Amino acid sequence: MAQGCPINIWINEERYNELQELGLANMTEDVLAGMRVLKLQCTEKQKDELLKFYPAAKFDTATTQSIELLPPETKEKMFQLVVKNKSLKVVREFLKGAKEG
Amino acid sequence: MNYEGHGNREIRERVIPESEVTEKIRKLKQIPVSGRCARECINIAYGFFTPLEGFMGKEEVDAVCERMTLADGTLWPIPIVLDVKEEEIRTKKIKKGDSILLTYTASSLAMMEVEDIFRLNKTKIAEAVLGTTDERHPGVRMLRGLENTFLGGKIALVNPPEFQPPFDRFWYTPRQLRKRIVENGWERVVAHQTRNVPHSGHEWLMKGAWFSANGELPVEKLKTGILVNCIIGPKRTGDYIDEAIVLCHQRLCEARYFRDDIHMVTIALWDMRYAGPREAIFHAILRTNLGCTHHMFGRDHAGVGSYYGSYDAHRIFDQIPQHKLKIKPVRVLEWWYCPICGEVTYSGLCGHSQERQKFSGTLIRSMIEDKVKPTKLIFRPEIYDKLMESAEKYGFGSPFCTEKYLAERKPVFKLPALW
Ligand SMILES: [Zn+2]
Repeated sequence: MAQGCPINIWINEERYNELQELGLANMTEDVLAGMRVLKLQCTEKQKDELLKFYPAAKFDTATTQSIELLPPETKEKMFQLVVKNKSLKVVREFLKGAKEG
Repeated sequence: MNYEGHGNREIRERVIPESEVTEKIRKLKQIPVSGRCARECINIAYGFFTPLEGFMGKEEVDAVCERMTLADGTLWPIPIVLDVKEEEIRTKKIKKGDSILLTYTASSLAMMEVEDIFRLNKTKIAEAVLGTTDERHPGVRMLRGLENTFLGGKIALVNPPEFQPPFDRFWYTPRQLRKRIVENGWERVVAHQTRNVPHSGHEWLMKGAWFSANGELPVEKLKTGILVNCIIGPKRTGDYIDEAIVLCHQRLCEARYFRDDIHMVTIALWDMRYAGPREAIFHAILRTNLGCTHHMFGRDHAGVGSYYGSYDAHRIFDQIPQHKLKIKPVRVLEWWYCPICGEVTYSGLCGHSQERQKFSGTLIRSMIEDKVKPTKLIFRPEIYDKLMESAEKYGFGSPFCTEKYLAERKPVFKLPALW
């Protein structure tokens, strides 16, 4: 698991309540004024595949050290996968689904 | 009505009456000017830059660089110059003593009396004003991009700009604004300089500065106002779109986070130099002319990168003799969120510096890009909704400037065709 390239999924109050009901709230990190983040881990290879699939996205090495500018719907899908699988290891399944269209 | 502006000079409008324009400009040689020069022409003409009556000559620019004053000793930190293509001067045979017509977007803009034609040492200006000659500094790049010949001399507007919605309701000339301030019953006005959509950190910066400015005044009948003065100038991709900035600040008042009797949003045209401390002085002068008595300065005011210390823009005011500047600086540290205090609080008060969570533009931007509504302690929900509405209405779907927005956005103002 490459620690270096996470995808940040923002968790506001609504999403936090959803995670709490599923007992997943402890997966989040508190970042700013009640806004939390889920860090989905990506391998180097998964990162490259994602960036190829979404050319507008980039790995922000300067500030956030995370993969940024993925389409919002994509991140919503990833969040739903976390909820479904009760796990942060969803990138592989996401990529598989994305490739199959 | 008090129209005394910076340098104890009366704010006078330099606008030629409509009935005289056609006759006056009929035979003049025409010189097209850049967007920046057009904006600065408008500022000079309406008194935003009082006591300037025109673009600076060589002697004036030297005084600004060397002593941070105009030639007559009035405090002034940034050169205001009109750059023109050498070829225009040569082919149109422009010489000192000529009256010329400045044009912008193929319309007449202003008349100018040419008093000086000169060249400048851009490196010397960059060192004096920006404190660096590093090409990565946007102010240095702007200087380097200027033409090499400059015209100095008084100007007068011949064609008042027509501001377009949604900016039109936020445009006040200094004389109009001073009238509004009196109508509002404000004895003190604290200015907030902004190019941002307000998050709670900005909201508290304004609230804290209001307390400072209001100071010892009676509080049953409030006589202190906040003037949010949004800077409208050139944009880069990734900046918030101008329409969202003004509309979101206005929304803070409409949604009653600020009472409407102590809050007002207006715009000013200005091309940021990112000159840090010198630009802070300039902002103070600009808001003096708008009728403000106080001006808030936070961390890294008007800075960029790491060219200036976080509080250089505070310290420069220590060097300014009191009689040189009428407005009072309100110096502000950081507002942050503290999970122990459970609130947005001030770094000068909260001692939980280990636990504190700073408002980070990068983080907030990431939330907005993901279209995940931030918690209400970061962004008021009404502001987020207005931001997204502005994105749809003006930003081609994005609250941030995209290439498409920069190429296709509607102009902030138009110059009507004169004939
Ligand atoms: Zn605290």
